Amino acid sequence: MRKTTPLSRFGLHATLVALVVWSVLPFVWTFQTSIKFTRDVAAKKPVLWGYETTANAYKAFWLDADDINMWSVLVYILAVAAICFVLGQIGRRVRHGWPWFLGVAGVIFAALWRFPKIWEANDEYDFLINSIVVTVLTMLISLSIGLLAGYGLARYTGISGAVILIIALGFRALPRTAFVLPYFFGAKEIDDWLTRTGVGSWNFPLIDFPGIDTLQILDTRLAIVLALVAVNQPFTIWMFRSFFMEVPKEIEEAAMMDGATRLQAFRKVIIPMMWPAIIATGLFTMLLAYNEYLFVRVLAPTEWTLPVAIVSLTGGESSRTITEAAAASVSITLPIVVVIILFQKHLVKGLGAGAVKG
Amino acid sequence: MNRRTFWGFTVPSVAVMLLLMVFPLLTTVWLGFHKLLLRDLNNPEWIGFGNYTDLLSDPEFWAAFRFTMVFVAIVVPATMILGLCTALLLDRVGRGRSVYLAALLLPFIVTPVVGSLVYKDLFERGGLLSWLWEVITDDPFAVNSGNVKWLIIIQAIWNIMPFAMITFFAGLQTLPGERVEAAAIDGANFWRNLWHVILPHLRVLILFVGLISIMDAYRVYDQVFVWTGNRFTDAHTLQVYNVRIATAFDIGRLGKGNAMAVLTVIGIFVVLIPFLWRSYKDQIEERV
Repeated sequence: MRKTTPLSRFGLHATLVALVVWSVLPFVWTFQTSIKFTRDVAAKKPVLWGYETTANAYKAFWLDADDINMWSVLVYILAVAAICFVLGQIGRRVRHGWPWFLGVAGVIFAALWRFPKIWEANDEYDFLINSIVVTVLTMLISLSIGLLAGYGLARYTGISGAVILIIALGFRALPRTAFVLPYFFGAKEIDDWLTRTGVGSWNFPLIDFPGIDTLQILDTRLAIVLALVAVNQPFTIWMFRSFFMEVPKEIEEAAMMDGATRLQAFRKVIIPMMWPAIIATGLFTMLLAYNEYLFVRVLAPTEWTLPVAIVSLTGGESSRTITEAAAASVSITLPIVVVIILFQKHLVKGLGAGAVKG
Repeated sequence: MNRRTFWGFTVPSVAVMLLLMVFPLLTTVWLGFHKLLLRDLNNPEWIGFGNYTDLLSDPEFWAAFRFTMVFVAIVVPATMILGLCTALLLDRVGRGRSVYLAALLLPFIVTPVVGSLVYKDLFERGGLLSWLWEVITDDPFAVNSGNVKWLIIIQAIWNIMPFAMITFFAGLQTLPGERVEAAAIDGANFWRNLWHVILPHLRVLILFVGLISIMDAYRVYDQVFVWTGNRFTDAHTLQVYNVRIATAFDIGRLGKGNAMAVLTVIGIFVVLIPFLWRSYKDQIEERV
């Protein structure tokens, strides 16, 4: 056993507190800036305490619009909460099979895709909504196909499995620019083709949502989602594979002995054991989509998500004040803080699992 | 699992990767041989290796290359050493561990551009650290082309250190207690224990973290872009340079940008190939 004296314990905590200060100091400072009056922010000697607080910056950032309809925003927040609740319930007790699940997912897809634009809200809400839509859709698509592939790769012993894994590992290392430039070019070409042939202005009954006149790829949330799903695939399949490797083969073999097909065994026996893995991988996917900057900036010149909006709004020429920029930074960071507090264990485990196998 | 079932399970994922990773990568190579302007995308003109000779004779390319190498060479070892030390400290804490963990993880989890923005705020006019600098040295502080490189490097260490820390911390949790105790009974002090027990145990993880950190530091974009924008071209990394030449408003050269992307890919593969080869061997071994 290790001897600990009060002195060494004090030293330990003092060092750690110093490290914590170095980690969170910028956030504390920005938070302070966001609740100060402009005169305190502009003071030559920083005002560290005893200043008057105000929520003006937050009001300016979130509520500064002529025709803001608070009710619509409230309804939207409630709708998102309801969707999250429903998703949680599905995760826990759906036993009705894929058609049901796909139906629900389709409704959520449609809702997220189109509803918000019906309300004329503040720009900031558009960015927030884009962020939510991109994050949720990326998670749904990326995790579902990654889960299937991860399982296949964990159980199949042929050479092609090894080849896929190694190529994916190589892709994991590639810089974003190797993808974002051809995506941009390809999307542009497709859009040109759509306009040239007139296909873009056809009316498809199913995707003819109000407000969409022409089909296009560039500058849509779809482009961002597809790009993110693609670059996230290598990570997802490696992660899921390493979790599936820990599930003994005998479990699904027993189920298949009892007459279940491979897919049934996968869905009813394996998936319920995989929730910790799904949560861990989902967290990283969520962070990737929520934090993405470059893809959005290049592929969606106007359909910004929050990170692009913040960088653009706090740029040099912008008339926004420092306090407002700080309020924006705090607002975008809060969800992430909640996520780490709630899911810290899963994050640590996920990094550990990815690392041990990597 | 037989081959048909395997493909049934993997086809969606493989299709996505073929369509959105392999195919774009080939497009990148193809476009790299063309003269292609952003404002005139319909007329690619074949110029062979023109873009490459153009790049290799561009002093800004070499500036970006130099800074990226310096960046990787400082940030990767610094984050790993700092991360290991923090993980060792954290491992000794009983109560309050999760509070420390959450606080220390924050810089890593936060949106990269926002992380840079809030860090930059400390050094702006009226910021806490720029004021402190002024008090200590009596000189006003301003972010300029001289110090921005160092600020970028310090902020990057702040930003990615938690990744090394958390991975090493997870690794330390799996260290068998008996081995530490046996070493303690033999009278090993902390340093011998570190050298003979802890580091060998973490060997694979150190390799893993090193590789990931090199990859991530090499392709850093968001954080640097927030510090420099399109100014301070000395402090641009390869990625920032790449995006700038390809997408600059009205003068973007997409062909040259793609050639640059190809060069970056080749650069990272030089480092990666031995590792990929080893992983491939491991994979094959696992299967027989």
